[in-house]
Amino acid sequence: MSAVLQIRSLTLHLDRAGRALIDDVSIEIAAGETVGVVGESGSGKSLTALSVLQLLPGAAMQIAPGSSIRLQERELIGATPATLESLRGARVAIVFQEPMTALNPVRSIGSQMGEVIARHCGLEGSAVRERALELLRDVRINDAERIFDSFPHQLSGGMRQRVLIAMAFSSAPSLLIADEATTALDVTAQAQILELLKTLVRERGIACLMISHDLAVIRQNCDRVYVMHRGKVVESGSSREVIESPKHSYTQSLLASLPARRPGRTPAQSLGECVLEVVDVAVRHRRGQRGFGRAPAVVTAVDGVSLALNAGETLALVGESGCGKSSLLAAIAGLVPCEGLLRFQGRKGRPEPGRVQMVFQDPQGSLNPQWPAWRIVSEPATVNSHLTRRTRRDLAAELFAKVGLDATAIDRLPREFSGGQRQRIAIARALSVGPRLVLLDEPTSALDVSIQAQIIDLLVELQRREQLAYLFVSHDFAVVRQIADRIAVMRQGRIVESGPALEVLDHPQHPYTRELLAAVPRI
Amino acid sequence: MNAAALHPGRVQRAIALLREAVRIPELALGGSVFIGLLLLALFGDFFQTHDPGRSDLTQRFLGFGEGGHLLGTDHMGRDVWSRLVAGLQWSMACAFAANLINLVIGTALGLAAAERLGALRNVSRQVTDALQAFPSLIAAIVVVVLVGQGFVPLVLTLGLLSWPIFMRVTNAEASSLYTRDYVKAATVAGVSRIRIMIGHIVPGLRATLVSVFALHFAALLIAESALSFLGIGAPLGVPTWGNMLAESRQYVLVEPRLLLVPACAIILTVIAANLFGDGLGVHARRGRRTEDR
Repeated sequence: MSAVLQIRSLTLHLDRAGRALIDDVSIEIAAGETVGVVGESGSGKSLTALSVLQLLPGAAMQIAPGSSIRLQERELIGATPATLESLRGARVAIVFQEPMTALNPVRSIGSQMGEVIARHCGLEGSAVRERALELLRDVRINDAERIFDSFPHQLSGGMRQRVLIAMAFSSAPSLLIADEATTALDVTAQAQILELLKTLVRERGIACLMISHDLAVIRQNCDRVYVMHRGKVVESGSSREVIESPKHSYTQSLLASLPARRPGRTPAQSLGECVLEVVDVAVRHRRGQRGFGRAPAVVTAVDGVSLALNAGETLALVGESGCGKSSLLAAIAGLVPCEGLLRFQGRKGRPEPGRVQMVFQDPQGSLNPQWPAWRIVSEPATVNSHLTRRTRRDLAAELFAKVGLDATAIDRLPREFSGGQRQRIAIARALSVGPRLVLLDEPTSALDVSIQAQIIDLLVELQRREQLAYLFVSHDFAVVRQIADRIAVMRQGRIVESGPALEVLDHPQHPYTRELLAAVPRI
Repeated sequence: MNAAALHPGRVQRAIALLREAVRIPELALGGSVFIGLLLLALFGDFFQTHDPGRSDLTQRFLGFGEGGHLLGTDHMGRDVWSRLVAGLQWSMACAFAANLINLVIGTALGLAAAERLGALRNVSRQVTDALQAFPSLIAAIVVVVLVGQGFVPLVLTLGLLSWPIFMRVTNAEASSLYTRDYVKAATVAGVSRIRIMIGHIVPGLRATLVSVFALHFAALLIAESALSFLGIGAPLGVPTWGNMLAESRQYVLVEPRLLLVPACAIILTVIAANLFGDGLGVHARRGRRTEDR
């Protein structure tokens, strides 16, 4: 069987003189085969995928001479724009990460699918609708008629991704590129979409190029894998071989930093005082604007949750998006009003300033882009006392050293740090006044796995040293296993199961917890 | 030792900023013309060749450059160039002062609304809607007729009637800043609301407000000229572009120069201020993109 896609020594420069973004990359995919490209952010994996259809951002990017991309024996480099245009969508389909932005929010699913179908299949009138419904059923959507008439915002992320896959298959492509197609989805949705892709690829004998940062996803779904690092393919082979006995040192380190490969946490021995007590807390959001004679719709995000947390202990809140875990965290942080009782260190009402701190998911958004790092880090310390610039800078340098950053870098702006460093800055800020409780809202999910492992290590180390209590919100069970003493599983605003971490992870009692755990891809 | 030597980083940053600004054509062109006009207004007295108020009936309707008059003379034999400079001073001062009042009122109310200061939010929204629905030029005419002519009434009228644009922009921008995680982090840390406003929100508004200030400046300049043209802005005898236009109407067929000169001055200033404001807006957006990287 000949290769559907053949990339030969592809080299891509930012400009004529610039360094290579992709360096001598060769990839081959046969029909019916799923091939993974795995790597951390900036490794060039997405650029490789985009270069297949020459959808490269910016005209300045130069494909070096000697590169070759052949789709079914047809050379794509140097092809006319009209040729490429006819290939895009028709022979090659792409499914992207973010299923919301890929759909037009003001048009129904049916009309958007109809447009694509009319163009690719040359159908008209009711035939278009028939074909669209057929495609929706192919991606295992049962109530295709309802989805056909829906708008994107009425569908869940997984459903939107299904619609996009249905659209991608409208033209019977011979190559499907899935660029982090399931990264934005919950584990259960991810498992379903991956299963769907696998079946479709097998049934139709098409070639699939799967781009992902997640080794477990690649391991479970790909026949072969290419590991990319700094624009180069450092290792390739059958995915079982590469992941079970990696040869290259980079692949080895990547695997070693996988949360699932790292030792689980041994539960804390002695627990300190009770830091936080949550009794029957409910959070209700008002939907829509209040107006004359119009009662606002109320959505209950958190519905009667109780929990307690001691010093030196980590409680992980897990659940799918929309389960209310972030709302609960915001209520404890005092960012949204709530009903019920919150007690900090045995006292009712707001905690003393600085005793509760928060670390957010996106380290970029949580740092004021206009402030130098020393000012960001020392901000909470200025709440109770007036500090001079000099004391603030000294404090910042001290905190920087504590979280493993270069203390001379305190004058830099957030954008001059990498993602992992920014998260360290956010942690340093949380530590600046000696907090008792730190609220961690998915602090590692925006980071690459190797950085993720470092941040987890740092958090564990700081907790041990300062007897911190962590309330850790996450959807990633592998990360939770490393850091949590106890786990509380949330669903639709309620805690459905809670208990010691290893017990919940290894012997889940509630069917929902079992379902969640079963959906997690494993290596 | 001057400040520049103490903070070498600051000077470098300013130079880099300037270099980047030059790359935006609107900013480079509009900015240089606008700053040139501003300097002309500030040091106008040095540039005036004659007393703008002194008339010489023997020297009426002189053409360009005749008798030492750069732009000639008008129907009363007054030097057009010197009157033009005096008009520039008046217009600039008027628009600037009124704009400052707009900025203060609009920004304060916009911030208060974004900060959700309860009742103030609803009240300011209603007032803004009412003000924007009302044709402000007609309102200005009514007020000036009631209060009287002169610099202070004119500035107060323009200043108190046209701040909603600042309120809207501030409200929109500040509301989006309030949803940022770094504001939440500060709230959780116990930083007071007023300090969050001063430390995080207001600096984030600066770039946008400067841009709106320049854009609105042009609108105020036109409004002031219109009022003067109608004879209810500047008092009689004060040389302003609006007055010059009004007086030249009678001679438009004989001496179109008298109409064209102030008209061109208005057009030039308004275009410069608009380009400047657009350029500053582009600059602010670009800055935001580099910050987000």
